[in-house]
Amino acid sequence: MLDWVQSLGRVGLARLAAFGRAGQLLVQALVARPDPVMMFPLLVKQLYFVGVLSLIIIVVSGGFIGMVLGLQGYTILVDYGSEQAVGQMVALSLVRELAPVVTALLFAGRAGSALTAEIGLMKATEQLASLEMIGVDPLRRVIAPRFWAGFISMPILTMIFSVVGIWGGAIVAVEWLGIFDGSFWANMQQAVDFRDDVLNGVIKSIVFGFVVTWIAVFEGYDCTPTSLGISQATTRTVVFSSLAVLGLDFILTALMFGEL
Amino acid sequence: MESQTDNIIDIKGMTFSRSGRVIFDNIDLSIPRGRVTAIMGPSGTGKTTLLKLIGGQLPPDKGQILLDGENIPSLSRTELFIARERMGMLFQSGALFTDMSVFENVAFPIQVHTDLPADMIRDIVLMKLQAVGLRGAQHLMPSELSGGMARRVALARAIALDPDIVMYDEPFTGQDPIAMGVLVNLIRRLNQALGHTSIIVSHDIKETLGIADYVYVVADGRVVAQGSPEDLAGVDSDKVRQFMQGLPDGPVPFHYPAPDYLQELLQDIR
Repeated sequence: MLDWVQSLGRVGLARLAAFGRAGQLLVQALVARPDPVMMFPLLVKQLYFVGVLSLIIIVVSGGFIGMVLGLQGYTILVDYGSEQAVGQMVALSLVRELAPVVTALLFAGRAGSALTAEIGLMKATEQLASLEMIGVDPLRRVIAPRFWAGFISMPILTMIFSVVGIWGGAIVAVEWLGIFDGSFWANMQQAVDFRDDVLNGVIKSIVFGFVVTWIAVFEGYDCTPTSLGISQATTRTVVFSSLAVLGLDFILTALMFGEL
Repeated sequence: MESQTDNIIDIKGMTFSRSGRVIFDNIDLSIPRGRVTAIMGPSGTGKTTLLKLIGGQLPPDKGQILLDGENIPSLSRTELFIARERMGMLFQSGALFTDMSVFENVAFPIQVHTDLPADMIRDIVLMKLQAVGLRGAQHLMPSELSGGMARRVALARAIALDPDIVMYDEPFTGQDPIAMGVLVNLIRRLNQALGHTSIIVSHDIKETLGIADYVYVVADGRVVAQGSPEDLAGVDSDKVRQFMQGLPDGPVPFHYPAPDYLQELLQDIR
């Protein structure tokens, strides 16, 4: 029993220390000495790797999720004769919840794991040490552009996810199941509020972008520079990011819509 | 003007330990300016760690590491990066940036630290690559290079800014005899031509002694012998003799500390 408490304490302390190191990394990389001139070209490159290359998985997933929502919504609502409300159901589910959460989960799996593995390998192959010896701060050169790229990409990817999802829902509901397109779009327009729904969804995605990318770059930078260390760090990125996204989603939803 | 015989680096009373194990125990060590100094010793004695300590990548527990009188461990992060512009380091793995070509790797330190125009940077890079015999490989990516070539590119990058000190971490490990000969000649030739200070960490005795002006033998966290390669041949120490002659067992044991061999084998039978 005592051993169990001891090991629990050890794990807790190790996590707390890691959290402290992650905060230190964030401050040193982003706040201490920003250098926009050096960072801009690196940021553009990372936006391509982190954002543009994630587009396919986001577009395909968004499309299918929207189509499933359209189909499920129709089969439920048709029993009550309210199938015209499919549009608003699809749009609200997507912009409020599914787009930010699913995009963040997919982003953690595709871009987050890639960031961790890349930075971890740079550490294992002494590229980070080599940068330091050349007199270049790896936190500013390697970590900062990757962090900002993730932070900027996530809200944009989330919006694309929502748009494609709504389009997928419309294809199923309007084109396939024959709901009158006028009421599909009009109901959606009436029910979706820009500030309460769209903006809150974007705020969620900004928070998720911050957290997922922070976890990804920290795990890569802090990993043990061996094959096992990198694989464990990559796994941790996906697991911690997913849990953080789901936990934060509940907190944010409670804060945003709790009073309703 | 500084004399040619003074020391560019002075390590005074430095202690460094990792995971509770003392790697360096209150050592004093000086690196003479403009010469080739070798740090030798068995694996695991912290030779690479010593280079990292000099480069400020690791802080010592106590003691001073003076680079021209400036104590490296007490520098701020910004001052440390400025001090590192005077150092070049050849990593054991080469540590080339894998997303850049050979040319871009060598150009990188110049682009970062100078405002030179692109055509001048190009000329400098070509001169450095010519010096290591790889001007023809400028468009290749690091993944297309052999181990020996990668290390020569890394050497060109390490000397790109004409640093005062070049640190070589096990430069001869894993090289075929031709690449080894090329590297030995290059290190000596570059040292003479550019007039910088070279620090070589190695356990390749023959090659290192062939080019070193001064040698430190490090073992058990201390400097166990020092002097010119000729001086070391006459050192009366079992540890130094075992290392220099490559004897498998002696004061430096072949076996890692372990319980009794027979008892451990018979443990299951009981």
